[in-house]
Amino acid sequence: MIAVVGGAIRVSTPYLYVSLGETLTEKSGRVNLGLEGTLVMGAMSGYAIAYLTGSPWLGVLVAGAIGAGFGLLHAVVCSLPRVNDIAVGIALFLFGTGLAFFLGKPYIQPSAPRLPHLALGWWSSSPQIRVALEINALFVAGIVLALALRFILASTRWGLVVRTVGDNADAARALGYSLRGVRTLATMAGGFLAGVGGSFLSLYYPGTWNEGLSSGQGLMAIALVIFARWNPIHCFWVSLLFGAATALGPALQSIGYTSNYYLFNAAPYVLTLGLLVWSSSPRHALLGAPSELTISK
Amino acid sequence: MSEPTPPLVDVRGMTKRFGALTALDDVSLRLAPGAFHAILGENGAGKSTLVKCMMGYHRPDAGHVLVDGQEHHVAGPRDAHRLGFGMVYQHFTLVPSMTVAENLVLGKDDLPAVIRWDVERESMKAFLSRMPFRVDLDRTVGALAAGEKQKIEILKQLFLGRRVLILDEPTSVLTPDEADQVLGVLGEMSRDGRVTVVLITHKFREVEAFAREVTVLRAGRRIGGGAVTDLTRADLVAMMIGAAGLPEPAPRAALAPSPAMLGLEGLTVLDDRGLTAVREVSLAVGAGEILGVAGVSGNGQRELVEALAGQRRPESGIVRVAGAAYRPTRGQIRRRGVFVLPEEPSRNACVRQMTVAENLALRSFDRPPIALAGGFLSRQQLRAQGRELIERFKIRAAGPDARLDTLSGGNVQRTVLARELSESPKVLVAQNPCAGLDVAATAEIRGRIMAARNAGAAVLLLSEDLDELMELADRIVVMFEGRLVYETARAAADPHVIGHSMASHL
Amino acid sequence: MRGAAWAETAAISAAALLAALGVFGGFVALRGLNPLDVYAALVAGGFGSWFSLEETLTQAAPIMLTALCTALPARAGLLVIGGEGALVVGGVATVLAGVNLGGLPPPLAVALMCLAGALGGGLWVGVAGALRHWRGVNETIATLLLNYIAIAVMNHLVAGPIRDFGQVLKPASWAIGERLMIGTIPATGIHWGLVFGVVACVVTWVLMRHTIVGFAVDVVGGNVRAAQMVGLPIGAIVLATTVLGGAAAGLAGAIEVVAVHGFASSSLVVGYGYAGILVAFLARQNPLAVIAVAVLLGGITASGGLLQRRFGLPDAATLVLEGLLFIALLAANTLYGRFRRSSGD
Repeated sequence: MIAVVGGAIRVSTPYLYVSLGETLTEKSGRVNLGLEGTLVMGAMSGYAIAYLTGSPWLGVLVAGAIGAGFGLLHAVVCSLPRVNDIAVGIALFLFGTGLAFFLGKPYIQPSAPRLPHLALGWWSSSPQIRVALEINALFVAGIVLALALRFILASTRWGLVVRTVGDNADAARALGYSLRGVRTLATMAGGFLAGVGGSFLSLYYPGTWNEGLSSGQGLMAIALVIFARWNPIHCFWVSLLFGAATALGPALQSIGYTSNYYLFNAAPYVLTLGLLVWSSSPRHALLGAPSELTISK
Repeated sequence: MSEPTPPLVDVRGMTKRFGALTALDDVSLRLAPGAFHAILGENGAGKSTLVKCMMGYHRPDAGHVLVDGQEHHVAGPRDAHRLGFGMVYQHFTLVPSMTVAENLVLGKDDLPAVIRWDVERESMKAFLSRMPFRVDLDRTVGALAAGEKQKIEILKQLFLGRRVLILDEPTSVLTPDEADQVLGVLGEMSRDGRVTVVLITHKFREVEAFAREVTVLRAGRRIGGGAVTDLTRADLVAMMIGAAGLPEPAPRAALAPSPAMLGLEGLTVLDDRGLTAVREVSLAVGAGEILGVAGVSGNGQRELVEALAGQRRPESGIVRVAGAAYRPTRGQIRRRGVFVLPEEPSRNACVRQMTVAENLALRSFDRPPIALAGGFLSRQQLRAQGRELIERFKIRAAGPDARLDTLSGGNVQRTVLARELSESPKVLVAQNPCAGLDVAATAEIRGRIMAARNAGAAVLLLSEDLDELMELADRIVVMFEGRLVYETARAAADPHVIGHSMASHL
Repeated sequence: MRGAAWAETAAISAAALLAALGVFGGFVALRGLNPLDVYAALVAGGFGSWFSLEETLTQAAPIMLTALCTALPARAGLLVIGGEGALVVGGVATVLAGVNLGGLPPPLAVALMCLAGALGGGLWVGVAGALRHWRGVNETIATLLLNYIAIAVMNHLVAGPIRDFGQVLKPASWAIGERLMIGTIPATGIHWGLVFGVVACVVTWVLMRHTIVGFAVDVVGGNVRAAQMVGLPIGAIVLATTVLGGAAAGLAGAIEVVAVHGFASSSLVVGYGYAGILVAFLARQNPLAVIAVAVLLGGITASGGLLQRRFGLPDAATLVLEGLLFIALLAANTLYGRFRRSSGD
C-alpha cells in the first residue's frame, strides 16, 4: 500500500507538470496535443545537458527552455489563419518524438546525475518503505506551482487576460489585447512545464533515457485537464489519481502478482476514457471549458 | 473626488476606404458635452465604420478628431480610452465565466499586475452607489439575461471613466421596456451633463424618444441631420433611403380560411443550457395563411425553428402537418412538403465550401434525376439542376460550380430560398428572412414568401421586424419568454400594443 | 474551375515539401553532412533502383489503408487518429480467425481472415464514432486513448493467452501457418497488400465523389446543422465513416499478418497508423491523392536504411523529416485562397 502511495507521488509528477502547463494553455483558448513530443524532447535534452554538465538542475532548466521553444512553434503555426490546432499538435507530437530520438541516440548508454529527493521514510526500518517515501524535489515544486497558478489566474492582471482570451475572444480584442501574443505566451509557458515534466522522467524516475520512456503521459494530460475542470488544484489531485493508476502495475508486480501486467498498463488509459465518456454530453459543451477551445465546442 | 465630465468632441472629414469600397466619405459630426446624438442609417451606411474610426479600431484615410479644441491622433483603442471614449457593442464583450466584479476590473488600462481585490471592491461599491442601475458584483456573467448584461456593459464603461459613450445598436437584444429604461437613464445622465451619448440605431422610435440631435448617413455620406425636434419621420425616411421611398408591399391574394396545415400542440423545447426556451406552445396555421410571430430574439424563437427544422429535439409536444404527427426525417420532409428558411442562412442552412449547385441539391441529391441506379450520383444532372434554379431565382453567381462562400449575403439567401421554395412547399417556416439585406433584396424575398402563401402554403414567419410582420402576416402572435402571449388579426393590429406585449411582465 | 483548384493544391504542397526538405537539410548539416548528398540518398533510397522501389511500395501499402482511417471520417468532419490501434486490433483478429479456419481452402480462409481484420478495426474505431455522436466525446482524444489500450491488450494477449512459446526473440502470437500467407505479386518482391491498398483508395474515391452516400458525408462534414435541416441521418453517417475508416486500418493489420509476419506481435506497432495521419493531411483527405502521397512517404521510410548505412543517421531521421513535412504542410494551409479571386455580387 505504501508502495502504491510512494509510486503514485513519483509517477504523478510528470502528469502534474504537463497538466498545469496545459491548463494554462487551454485557459487561453488553445489545445496543445504536441505536449507528448515536448515531454520526450524535454526528457532527452534534460538528460543530455545533465550528463554533459554534471548538473541535473541545469538539465531541468534546459528541458524547460526547449519545451518553451516547442510551445512557441506550436503557437506560431496555430496563429496562422485556417490552421487546425489539433492537427498541429499531432504534427509536433511526431516531430518532437522523432527529433528526440534523432538527437538523443548518443545518450542512451551513459548515465547522468539524478535529481535530489527528500527522504521522508527515515523513520522506517524497512528499505521498501524508505524507498517508497522518497519525495522528489520536483513534486514539492509542483505543489507550489499549482497554488501559484491558481493565484495567478484569479488575482493577477495577466491571469484575467488569459482567461478573457480563452473565454471571449471578441472581448479581448475590444480591450486591445493581442490574442496571438497572449496565446503564444501561454503555450510557451505550457511547453516549459511539459519540458520540465519530461526531464523528471529521465532524471529521476525511471531515471534513464531511452526510446520507450514515455507512454503517452503527455496525451493523457489533455484528458486530465478536462477531468480537473481546468482548475489547478484539481489538477494536483487528479495527477495523483492517475499516478496511482499507473503505479498499480509495477507495485503489484513487486509483491509478486505478475500476471496481467500489460492490462494494468492499460489502466490509466481506460480510466481516462471512462472519465471522458462520463463527463461528456451531446447536448452541451463540456461544463467549465473555456469557450474558445476547439475540442470543447 | 469629483466626477469627470464629457469633453467637446469634433469629428471632421472622416474618410475610410476598404479597397475599392468607400465606406465613409468626408463625414463630420459635432458632439457638445452632454449631447444625446443619434446616428441613423440602413445596413452598410457607414455608421459602425464611423465610430470604429473614432475609437481607433480603423485608421481613417482622412479626417481629424478634436477633443476640447485639441487635435488628437487616435492610433488604437487605448488612445480612444484615454480621451474618454467608450464603446458598447451589440454582441457582448463580457467574459461569461467571470463575475461582474472581474469583468468591471478587466477593462482598466492601469490595472496593476497583482490585483488587490479588497481595494478594487471598495472603489466598485463607491462607484455603484452613484449609478442608477443595481447589480450584484459576484454573479457570474454567463448566467445573466441579455438586458442585465447590457446594463453591465454600460456600467463598465462608466466605471472606467469613459464619458463619451458610443452605443452600437444596443437595444437589439432588449425588449422595448428594457430599452426604454436603459436609454431613459442615459438620457437623464446626458441632460445632467454627466455623459455624452452617441446612439447608432435604425429605429425611428429611439431617435424620436431619446435623442436630441441626429445625423443620417447613407452609403458612407452624411445626408442630413440636426435637432430631432426639427425633423419629421418622413424627413428621416427620405434621408435614409433616398428618393426611392419605401417599396410597394407584395400583393395579397384573398383566400378562404382553411383548416390547419401546420399545428403545434404543447411543444416544449430546451435551449443549450438546459433551460426551457419554448414552453408548451400551441398554434395553428392554415393553408394559404401567414402567421407572424413577433418578439425580440432570445425569447425562444431560435429553439422553436430549430425544433421544426430537425436541429433540436423537443422535450414534449406534437407537431402536426395536415393533421398527422410529423417528425423532421428526410422522408417525411419530402412527403409532407415542410421547408425552412432559418436565420443566418450561411451558418444554418448551407455548406459554405460546397458549390452553389451542390447547395441547391441538398434536398434532391438522393432522388432522380440526380440519383442513379445503385446509389450513384450524376454530377452532370446536379449541375444542370443548379443552372436551372440559378436562372429561375436570379442568383448572382459565377456559375453553378462557384463556391457558396464567394456569394454575397443576399445571394446566399436567394440560394436557400431557391432550394426551399422550388418544390412547392405546403408548410414554410421562415425566421428573419431579410436580416442584413438591402432594400431591393428584401422586397424580392418578401414577394416570394407572399407568393408561396398565395399558392396555398401555410407560412410561419418569425421576425424581429414589426414592419415586416405588418406587411406580410394575416395574423400576428407575440412570443415572450417561450410563450405566446398575444394574438391579433392583421386588420386590428396596433404596433404599440404588440410592442408592449413583447415585454409583458407577469 | 476544378483545374485551378488542383494546381493550387499541387503548388502549395510542393512549397511545403521544399520547406521541409530545407529545414531537414539544416539538421543534417548540424551533423557535418552535406545536405545535397542526403537529398540524393533520399531519392536513391526511395526510388533509385528497382529494389528500393519495391521497398517503397511495400512500405506504402499499409500506409494507404491507415490514411483512409483518418481521411474518411475527416470528410464527415471528425478528426480520427486511431489508425495505429485499429491496425493492431485487425492483426490480432486476423490471427484468431486464421488459427480457427485452418481447414478451409487457402483463398477462402485468407479472405475471411482479412474480413475479420477489417471487422475488428472497424468496430474498434466505430466505438469512438458512436461515443462521439451519442455521448459527445471528442473523437481525437478517444481514438488516441483507444490506440494505447489496443496496444496494451495486444501485448497482453500475445504474452499470455495466444502466445506461441516457440518464438524466442520476443513474445508473439500463434502463427497462422505458411499455407495461409499470401505471396508476392509475380515478378516483383511486393506483396499483394499493395493491390488491396490501391483498390481501397480508388473505391473510397468513387464512393465519395460519385455516390449519394459520399455526398451525404460531405454535407455532414461541411455543416452539420445544414445536414440536420435536410434530414440526413447524422448518427448513421458518423458511424459509417468511422467503421469504414477503421476497417481500412484493420485490413492493414490483416495484411501485415498474412503477407509479412504470419503472426501478431509488437512488430505490428511500427507507426503505420501515425504515418497514415500524416498522409491523409498531406493528401487533403482526398483518397486518390492518398495513393501518391503514401508512395512518397513510403519512399522516405524506405530510404531510412540507406541513410543509416551511408551516413550513420539514426532511423529517427526519417521521423524528423516526416514531422517537418507535416508542420510545413499545416502552415502552408493558410496560403489556400490567397490567390483565389472571389466572384462579385
